[in-house]
Amino acid sequence: MAKVLEGPGMGLMKKWGINVPNYVVVTSVDELTKLGQANEWLKKSKLVAKAHEALGSRFKLGLVKVDLDFKAAEAATKEMIGRQVGSITVTQVIVSEMIPHKEEYYCAVKSTREGSEILVANCGGIEVESNWERVKRLELAIGQAPSADALEKLSKEAGFTGPLIKKMAEFAGKMFACFDSEDAQYLEVNPVVTRASDGELVALDAVTLLDGDAKFRHPDWNFAFAAEFGRAYSKDETEVMSVDSKIKGSVKFIEIPGGDTAMLPAGGGASVYYSDAVVARGGKLANYAEYSGDPPDWAVEVLTEKICSLPGIKNIIVGGAIANFTDVVKTFGGIINGFRKAKSEGKLKGVKIWVRRGGPREKEGLDAMRALKDEGFDITVFDRHTPLTDIVDMALQAK
Amino acid sequence: MSILANKDTYVVIQGGVAGVNAARRMAEFCYLIKRSLNVLAFVYPPDAGKSNEIPYGSGLVAVPVYKTIAEATKNHPQINTSLVYIGADRAMKGGMEALDDSHIKVVSMITEGVPEKDAKILGAHARKLGKVFNGPSSIGIVSAGSCRLGVIGGAFDNLVLSKLYREGSFGVITKSGGLSNEIIWICSQFADGITTAIGIGGDAYPGTDYVSYLEMFENDPQTKAVVIVGEMGGDLEERAAEWYGAKKRRIKLMAVVSGFCQESLPKGMKFGHAGAKEGMKGEGSARSKSDALKKAGAIVPATFGALGPAIKETYQELLKSGQVKEPVEPASLPKLPKSIEAAMKADEVMVTPLIRTTISDDRGEEPCYDGYPASELINKGYEIPHVVGLLWDKRLISKQDAEIVKRIMMLSADHGPCVSGAYATILAACAGIGLSQSVAAGMIMIGPRFGGAVTDAGRFFKYAVDNKMSVDEFLTYMKKNHGPVPGIGHRVKSLRNPDKRVKELVGYVKSLNIKTPCLDFALAVEQVTAAKKDNLILNVDGTMAAVLVDIGFPVDSLNGFFILSRTIGLIGHWVDQKRQDGRLIRLFDYLVNYAAPKRREVPPLK
Repeated sequence: MAKVLEGPGMGLMKKWGINVPNYVVVTSVDELTKLGQANEWLKKSKLVAKAHEALGSRFKLGLVKVDLDFKAAEAATKEMIGRQVGSITVTQVIVSEMIPHKEEYYCAVKSTREGSEILVANCGGIEVESNWERVKRLELAIGQAPSADALEKLSKEAGFTGPLIKKMAEFAGKMFACFDSEDAQYLEVNPVVTRASDGELVALDAVTLLDGDAKFRHPDWNFAFAAEFGRAYSKDETEVMSVDSKIKGSVKFIEIPGGDTAMLPAGGGASVYYSDAVVARGGKLANYAEYSGDPPDWAVEVLTEKICSLPGIKNIIVGGAIANFTDVVKTFGGIINGFRKAKSEGKLKGVKIWVRRGGPREKEGLDAMRALKDEGFDITVFDRHTPLTDIVDMALQAK
Repeated sequence: MSILANKDTYVVIQGGVAGVNAARRMAEFCYLIKRSLNVLAFVYPPDAGKSNEIPYGSGLVAVPVYKTIAEATKNHPQINTSLVYIGADRAMKGGMEALDDSHIKVVSMITEGVPEKDAKILGAHARKLGKVFNGPSSIGIVSAGSCRLGVIGGAFDNLVLSKLYREGSFGVITKSGGLSNEIIWICSQFADGITTAIGIGGDAYPGTDYVSYLEMFENDPQTKAVVIVGEMGGDLEERAAEWYGAKKRRIKLMAVVSGFCQESLPKGMKFGHAGAKEGMKGEGSARSKSDALKKAGAIVPATFGALGPAIKETYQELLKSGQVKEPVEPASLPKLPKSIEAAMKADEVMVTPLIRTTISDDRGEEPCYDGYPASELINKGYEIPHVVGLLWDKRLISKQDAEIVKRIMMLSADHGPCVSGAYATILAACAGIGLSQSVAAGMIMIGPRFGGAVTDAGRFFKYAVDNKMSVDEFLTYMKKNHGPVPGIGHRVKSLRNPDKRVKELVGYVKSLNIKTPCLDFALAVEQVTAAKKDNLILNVDGTMAAVLVDIGFPVDSLNGFFILSRTIGLIGHWVDQKRQDGRLIRLFDYLVNYAAPKRREVPPLK
């Protein structure tokens, strides 16, 4: 699932005929000043300026400023750009037209196992979140588009009356078109408002989650996906991601500051069981990682180096189930190289390494790991006869 | 019995390399259970009309490749299952093609990264047709003792260790490929093994979910219990719990769920498969899933590690109640023939090597020349002449000798377009012939009359020096036994019009104050021969030969110096003609002396 920031999200909605406020995304005040000369609405309307980053609680952080004239928007932009919030530096500000409105509504489309679901409520903002039962749903099978009648029925059910019935139905229909055509997994507009000037429904805020796997058929997705965790990726995480994008198979790495048990397990399934075992034992995870799909040894080596560089670690869990086609000798070769490199750089002092693995060429691979003992590594190696997560129990008892 | 895949399952594989690899694994399984290969065809348009050779035992089975599913099923009507290994961007089209073929009842998609929408469309289409669509991202399906679809089950050793050669009593459904193998292994160690294991894929919306497969297992009398391996996210596990709790079921349900770590991780962090990341508004936590399954009456061990003992307990109950009997293990199992490499490693066979080499080895990270890594030679300042020394004479020559070799190569790199070699290359280039053949045409000219006298010159000068002959003795010996002295004589150059190249080379070598017995001898020979006839001078071949022998190169390598250097020139001539699009060359009549008989009548054939 790939999160998209507000600017490109609104861009996609606009493409499918949904009214959105005028907006610009800028990376500096100069850019905004220049755009002000070309876009009359910036000078005429009241404006909203928001930090255009994957940050929660922007309002509380002072990264949303409303009811601004152009001068004040310039000042707000200047103030926001470069601000550091946790690991994220604000690099973009979205300045949009303020839409005076009275009523707020809600509309969303989400993916379901059978197809999708359109959600509509005749309240919006915080009100809808505390009155979730007011949200009415229209379920759709995959390949099925909602009929005008069904949408109007939904609109009525949600409590819309008069001309708003049709307007909301049309709005929801466009939301569905956008969802379906753009390979979205989740689209949410909260609030939808009636624009005082012409009575049209306008999307004031957009949450857009796209299916990253469908990127190949959307050449116009020229925007970057936002970080998933509400923080910027670290240098090491970014490096592993760039390795991941170049190889057959995959390597993944996420840091969890403050932990002391480093994870280097194989496979997307087993890796979570290993993490569970650490938490169940009262351990503190220093990271999440996985390598899977028979990745090349050099990629596993890069991953290993990053893991060995995690600060304050006491144990490294090199776990894995019985692989189907991931070659144990080759992938362990990468891990062993990474360990040797780390050791030569003075890392891994006092760190215990725990290994459990099976799969193609397991004996040879495990023997190679065992041989690290002779090089002075504190390493304990088990084969398939030791249950999957027992090494975690042993590691955390061995304190 | 089993579900989905059995002795009557015949397969078409859609895709290229990954599909062929899967077929090899499937052939290993077929060999283990003594069944003929169940892969009857491939569909892969780029290779249509060819066949893929799949090792089976110690032999090979040729499996034909077709352009379309329709062609494959027309030629092999037994096909009832398709495995899809096509890239994510074309996977849906391939999956649809398979589903729409009336022969095919099961389509299992191995492709990862298939858009969610495509997976849903495929799943819905299959349900509409009453067929099974498994995956995407599936590791495969295996029914012990009868059928393997995909690489599930891993290497041959693991198939044997996990007792996949005969049926057990446990069904397995997992999202994760690696864990499917782990559970199969656990079932074989703590119980009697599996009936069928299915990898449904780790995506958010698998084409067929736990419930559909539970229903199938419920209807398979051989399956007594089913193990499912769940993950956080989505509601597949909750649905399975709902199905299990809805009424009294024949099968026992056992389950583990991952994702408990989520509760103590920073907010927003989600790990694992795509499916594990799905789930808005709090639903789909590991705890809610695990609670739902427990509530429905499933056996849910607290940890993954406790699963083995729980399976054992269930198995013991099944034994006690007489629902299952202890399995009978076969007396012997086929052994997968070892590859030569593996057998050699195990000291089981001795192979007489076909060739022997003493100069280079590229089995490591980079080529080693006579043991020296190429990059290290570069980094320590060695140059082309040193590589020549290593590969031609297995020694690291000195800096000074390298300089001599370099000068020899520079002096003999080319000699204009008119000499036999260059002319042949140009002739070929202008006839539109490619680089390697045109250069080869030039090479063919190198022989006794052009460029190929270096080795012989060196051999005879060396012979004379080794045998301490005088110039007169040498000339007499040559006249008597061999004819003209190689390396002496030039077509156009003479004493009065000396060859500048020879002068240059001799001057340089002499300036070094090294011992040059062969060169000295050759120059002495020239004194005598040139006095007899003006153009019987020491030519460039002879000079090179003498100098190279003096710096220790073996006689047999000497022509190589000319061949190597002149290749530079020949390549140059080819490129030169190519660049200017040189016209086809035809000799003019006036360049030919027509000395053949005049036109005459052909006599009648007798």
